Amino acid sequence: MTLKPLVPFALALAGLACATEARAGKTLDGVKSAGVVRCGVNTSGPGFSNADSQGRWTGLDVDFCRAVAAAVLGDANKVKFTPLNSQQRFSALQAGEIDVLSRNSTWTLTRDASLGVAFTGINYFDGQGFMVPKKLKIDSAKKLNGATLCVQAGTTSEKNVADWFAAHGMKYKPVVFDTAEAITSAFFAGRCQVYTTDMSDLAGARTKAPRADDYAILPEVISKEPLGPSVRRGDDEWFQIVRWTLFAMLEAEEDGLTQANVDAQKKDSKDPAVQRFLGVSEDDGKLLGLDREWAYRIVRQVGNYGESFERNLGPKSAVGLPRGVNNLWNKGGLMYAPPIR
Amino acid sequence: MSRVAGDEAWRARERARRRREVATQGGVALILLLLLVLVAHNVGQNLAARQIHSGFGFLSDPAGFNLGESVIAFEARDTYLRAFEAGIANTLRVALAGIVAASIVGAVVGMMRLAHHPLLRGLGGAFVEIFRNTPLLIQLLAIYLVVTELLPDAGEGLTWPGVALLSKQGLQLAVPAHEHAALAAAAGAALVGGLAAALAARRWLTGGRGLVGLAGGLACAVLGWLASGVAGGWSRPTVDGFLVEGGAALTPEFLALWLGLTLFTGAAIAELVRAGALAVPRAQWDAALALGLTRGQAMAAVIFPQALRLAIPPLASQYMNLVKNSSLAVMIGYPDLVSIGNTSINQNGQALEVILIVMAAYLATNLVLALAMGFVNARVTRAPR
Repeated sequence: MTLKPLVPFALALAGLACATEARAGKTLDGVKSAGVVRCGVNTSGPGFSNADSQGRWTGLDVDFCRAVAAAVLGDANKVKFTPLNSQQRFSALQAGEIDVLSRNSTWTLTRDASLGVAFTGINYFDGQGFMVPKKLKIDSAKKLNGATLCVQAGTTSEKNVADWFAAHGMKYKPVVFDTAEAITSAFFAGRCQVYTTDMSDLAGARTKAPRADDYAILPEVISKEPLGPSVRRGDDEWFQIVRWTLFAMLEAEEDGLTQANVDAQKKDSKDPAVQRFLGVSEDDGKLLGLDREWAYRIVRQVGNYGESFERNLGPKSAVGLPRGVNNLWNKGGLMYAPPIR
Repeated sequence: MSRVAGDEAWRARERARRRREVATQGGVALILLLLLVLVAHNVGQNLAARQIHSGFGFLSDPAGFNLGESVIAFEARDTYLRAFEAGIANTLRVALAGIVAASIVGAVVGMMRLAHHPLLRGLGGAFVEIFRNTPLLIQLLAIYLVVTELLPDAGEGLTWPGVALLSKQGLQLAVPAHEHAALAAAAGAALVGGLAAALAARRWLTGGRGLVGLAGGLACAVLGWLASGVAGGWSRPTVDGFLVEGGAALTPEFLALWLGLTLFTGAAIAELVRAGALAVPRAQWDAALALGLTRGQAMAAVIFPQALRLAIPPLASQYMNLVKNSSLAVMIGYPDLVSIGNTSINQNGQALEVILIVMAAYLATNLVLALAMGFVNARVTRAPR
């Protein structure tokens, strides 16, 4: 009889069939009862999310996760970081393994509309560029006809570069790797003449080169890469919390609130906007399902957007990127938060 | 009379038993089918509830990404379907090359381990222990690292002008300009040469005729291919800045993967060869030598055919492992089926569909391989005992 071996299989199938649809919504309840925000970050992205020698996570995206935890749970350290490669990231969010994906991911129509995720905003305006060894004496990407390019699998970079080379009537050979680590080691070993990815990533990767001065980033920016956090679809309440966390960090910078002065400002400031923002005069938090000090805690525990940028990516950090378009709108950049009122 | 009645009763019982069996098996099959439908339905509903796009319609959309190397022509404007075909072709390319090379390595190392010479035996043993007892993934990463570090930079590669070019870009070789003509010439020459060699072997040799025929065929194939190049002209690699055109290329990724699969599987095959040879009773050797055969003749005509019979079924499973292991290509940047699947998942987000396609492709490949090895096994075991 062939019946017996089928029994466990049938049982497994029955289990699968009965597993009901995951409960949509109520991420906030889940986060509160677990006591941590589960945050998906990059495995290795200097300036965005990178574990330092003590195993502590640092970076712009990491700070954002901490800000969410500060707003929701009252403690910026209540974050469980899950390092994800570019292929795992959206699946992990879809499957409910993480609550927020903050992993320098580009906001595109396809991702926003077909992956079951929703981007909540933009925390870094980036663009794709090229890095080459200086000894090749190349000063423009237009001279790269026929070059071998190292690219990371599962990124918008793969498609951008195909479009750009086709538009310029040039040829190239991609070598596609799974992880950023594999790419940088192949690129620094000389397997590819060019490494192409977002400009901020290139600057980060250069900090890991044996000799950073041997590599140059070409001037051409071939794409728009608005990077931002995303959440699962179907939970508007959680979406709003994550979206307004970023706005609060921007608003704090605009109002001149910093980690250092926020306590004094909270006590002394006569500015109604500041009083409202810090929950002194009004309680904006309850509209989001949070308490009145949610924004105060973000600034107190994590800092404003500008502070996070300077600490992780700015000219004085190891990555050393200029603020550029990521400055506030009233300082010549693109960062703009809707009013918090 | 009573005997007939007994038969009747037995037949009736037997019919009832068969009916019960058919009913239970049919019932179980039906339940399984229902469950499968239910699972598919549930998955579909969940995807829809999470607003995840699904279906196979994307296969006819343009892929929009390029491949570093491809056996079949592929460019970014081609469809996802074409990209998967290119991935399957790349996987088959490295798998077939790996199966051939691993068989040769396995046979040679297996023989080494059986040799009387202690140095040969020791070397063979060391090879097997090293490559069988470390993870293939680590071997691949190590080989790839060594290959990329050792080769000279692209600008200052080793050249044999007009023939070959070796650098971090890989090995660029001149090939006959008319690809199809060259393949036809090679196949024709192989047929003629192989037959001639086999006939000659039949006349002058007692053992190993098949092998001589095979070797003759291979040699003639190479000659025919070269002759087509001489007659029809060569496509030579030319370098213009970064652009290398013409000729054929073996990239470091392909070389590293091929080498890794060959060594890892070769070590396993060597053990099969040794096991097969040792499993043939010692008395067979003695009998063959007593009949006046030399050691070589005894090996070729008596021991080898019997060892083969024992080794083929596990050999088939090693070949299938090699096909599946080729998916580790993804770690060293070779654009195999899995690598292309990964890229596709991230361009269009349809993980379930892409994974199903990739699994189906591996399943089909290995089923064909199983069929072929089953055929070979049947041929070998049919030989007179």
